[in-house]
Amino acid sequence: MNTGQIISGAGHLALIGWALFGGAFRSDPPPFEVVEAMAISSEDYAAILAASTAPEAVANVNTPEPPAPGENAPALASEADSAPAQSQPPANPAPPPDPVPSPPEPVPAPAEVADTAPEVTPPAEDVAALVPQVSPRPQPRPAPRVAPEPVAPSEPDVRVDEVTRPEVAPDAGAVVEEAPQEATAPEEAATEIVTEAERPRDPAPTSSPRPRARPAVAAARPDPAPAPTPAPPTEAATRPAPAPAPTPAPAPTPPATDRGAVSDALAAALGQGTPTPERPAGPPLTAGEKDALRVAVQRCWNVGSLSSEALATTVVVSVPMFENGKPDTGGIRMLNHSGGSAAAAQQAYEAARRAIIRCGNDGFNLPPEKFEQWRDIEMTFNPERMRIK
Amino acid sequence: MMRSLLTLLAALTLWAAPATSQQGGPLRLEITEGVIEPMPVAVPDFVADTPAAQEFARNIARVIAADLTGTGLFREIPAEAHISRITSFESPVQFADWRAINAQAMVTGAVNVDGAGRVVVRFRIYDVFAGQELGQGQQLVGQRDGWRRIAHKVADQVYARITGEGGYFDSRVVFVSESGPKNQRAKRLAIMDYDGANIQFLTDAASIVLAPRFSPTGDRVLYTSYETGFPRIYVLDVASVGRRALPTLDGTMAFAPRFSPDGRTVLYSLTQGGNTDLYSMDIGSGASTRLTTAPSIETAPSYSPDGRQIVFESDRSGTPQLYIMSASGGEARRISFGEGRYGTPVWSPRGDLVAFTKQSKGRFHIGVMRVDGSEERLLTASFLDEGPTWAPNGRVIMFTRETQGAQGEARLYSVDITGRNLRQVATPGGASDPSWGPLQN
Repeated sequence: MNTGQIISGAGHLALIGWALFGGAFRSDPPPFEVVEAMAISSEDYAAILAASTAPEAVANVNTPEPPAPGENAPALASEADSAPAQSQPPANPAPPPDPVPSPPEPVPAPAEVADTAPEVTPPAEDVAALVPQVSPRPQPRPAPRVAPEPVAPSEPDVRVDEVTRPEVAPDAGAVVEEAPQEATAPEEAATEIVTEAERPRDPAPTSSPRPRARPAVAAARPDPAPAPTPAPPTEAATRPAPAPAPTPAPAPTPPATDRGAVSDALAAALGQGTPTPERPAGPPLTAGEKDALRVAVQRCWNVGSLSSEALATTVVVSVPMFENGKPDTGGIRMLNHSGGSAAAAQQAYEAARRAIIRCGNDGFNLPPEKFEQWRDIEMTFNPERMRIK
Repeated sequence: MMRSLLTLLAALTLWAAPATSQQGGPLRLEITEGVIEPMPVAVPDFVADTPAAQEFARNIARVIAADLTGTGLFREIPAEAHISRITSFESPVQFADWRAINAQAMVTGAVNVDGAGRVVVRFRIYDVFAGQELGQGQQLVGQRDGWRRIAHKVADQVYARITGEGGYFDSRVVFVSESGPKNQRAKRLAIMDYDGANIQFLTDAASIVLAPRFSPTGDRVLYTSYETGFPRIYVLDVASVGRRALPTLDGTMAFAPRFSPDGRTVLYSLTQGGNTDLYSMDIGSGASTRLTTAPSIETAPSYSPDGRQIVFESDRSGTPQLYIMSASGGEARRISFGEGRYGTPVWSPRGDLVAFTKQSKGRFHIGVMRVDGSEERLLTASFLDEGPTWAPNGRVIMFTRETQGAQGEARLYSVDITGRNLRQVATPGGASDPSWGPLQN
């Protein structure tokens, strides 16, 4: 141990001792006011208190005198409330004695319970319940278009379109920055075909019978059937016109040069594959992105003009895509089919191709950063669920 | 330690393998829901190659458009909406202009009247959004007064090319034309194009005629006449309007005839001694064979397309129901089990469905069911619908609808087998008992 250490240790000890005993950790007491006091007797204190704090007004207030029992005493409120004669219940004969509780009956065996529905007698002609006795199954409205989602009829001056757009009209006196746009809405559609025989004859009641005092069996009241409300527009229907992709959208596939073709062939022969430029692969498409694409295609897949055999044919279609979300129409081809003849498959394929081209005309709403995930799409068009609509 | 590492490595490899393969393949989607709506189609007026063809060019395009839109499967885009004009049959089509008005299919054509006075029609069908021609262009030649048939044939080709099933436009319907009040109604046999054009009467109104039925080739018609006071079956040659009665025993009533698919045999009902049974008759020899012997009423027989089976109406169960049995007779199998009374069954040309009349809860319906009785589907409902007949392609049904009351009148209607596109067929007066003939050659 050298001198320096000794000096340092002594210094530290001194410092710690000063901190502990010198009041370094002791906080200063809070400041307080010092008031001089003097001792007084209790009588003086009472005299001072009565002279200074007793409010004078208290003595001047006409406080009601406490009611004294006597002839002027008011009637008790409880007696006044119970006085009206009409509120008195009619005198009943002697109440029947409480039934003597009897021991519970033995529970019958389940096998003896008749599993039959209770008979419902139709109400008389002049008797009606406040709620309908029978809630008929809601019939879809007959519409010229049958689609997976019902669409309510649009306003008469609204143009029918694939998407819903609000009307934009020039305002008088305002600087018009947006081009006038006609309001559009999807075409009215029902979810299934309603034949003349299935159509309700006349939904209006033919008579208005007097309602009964109370429902006969409240527990039997059926839940009101949900009214057929039009489904909200789908994501594909409400999305605005697809914004231009952040990446420069290439023009329709540029014709490959001979040099490129040769290099591609050489690369393929050497097993190196096609040298593709660096493009963002991104993560796989989410379920929502796939559903949006599916909905966009099926809105244009019109099977109404297909034969019965074509409606029983499933086709698998290969769809090469451009980076701007548009299909390469020249590259669309049928990969295979099942369930029908070659002729029926051709009709089914042509309907599928029309759907892809029509609804892909403005580009599908696909994430550009995941282009490598959707540059080649295989769409299976299975019309099985469209046959009985 | 080494074994644990190898196990971990193998597990990682197995977990990563499917992900890698999935990432490398195309994106796969399954489309199971679509829409059912009429396909927008453009039928611009055909190009007239000569001034004499001007009227034909316009009229033929109008008939084609009417045929297509009448099916309910197509919707014509009006000419006012067209951006492009077809001025030459040979010029390339500006698909972008037709895409802009959402035309999904288009028919173009040219008409010429040659030196012999015949009408020559050339036409092409296009898939507008694919920018391709559908099939090959075709040419049809016909007489001047047959221009409507040429138009119907073009429409049949368009229909077949787009839908994949045969058309029915170049076909005729034989029916009973009715006139006069309900209690003194005159009835005559008449024949017309499927769309109500070119009506010709085959009989006069001297006697009541019922239930005409086309032969499979469309050259003959069977019908029932009360000319002798008893109902008898006649066969009429459409071209010559000559007729002859089929041989039946005196004192019997023969009715509800129908040809076999080969046209050589006639099925009919015969009432003898208060009992009505089914019989078949060889037209050449006139020999009849009894097919049923039940004490109930058997009537309204109809052959299956292959001629092996018969569907008919019988009340052997207490109410009129539909039954199927072998064409040579034997045990019958009941196929209708719904509530109500079933009658007038007709086997579809495709063989998959039976159309029928159903009476239930005071209303009449035209319906279809599968030949095993499943998937019954009522297509119409009214005061009186009856007597269905199939279009040649088995997609459309024509029937009689009669309105209620003393002023009620019978009219012909057609409906798609899906229950859509219910339409009245244009006839000059009352009409009933239609029988749809085959496609003409």
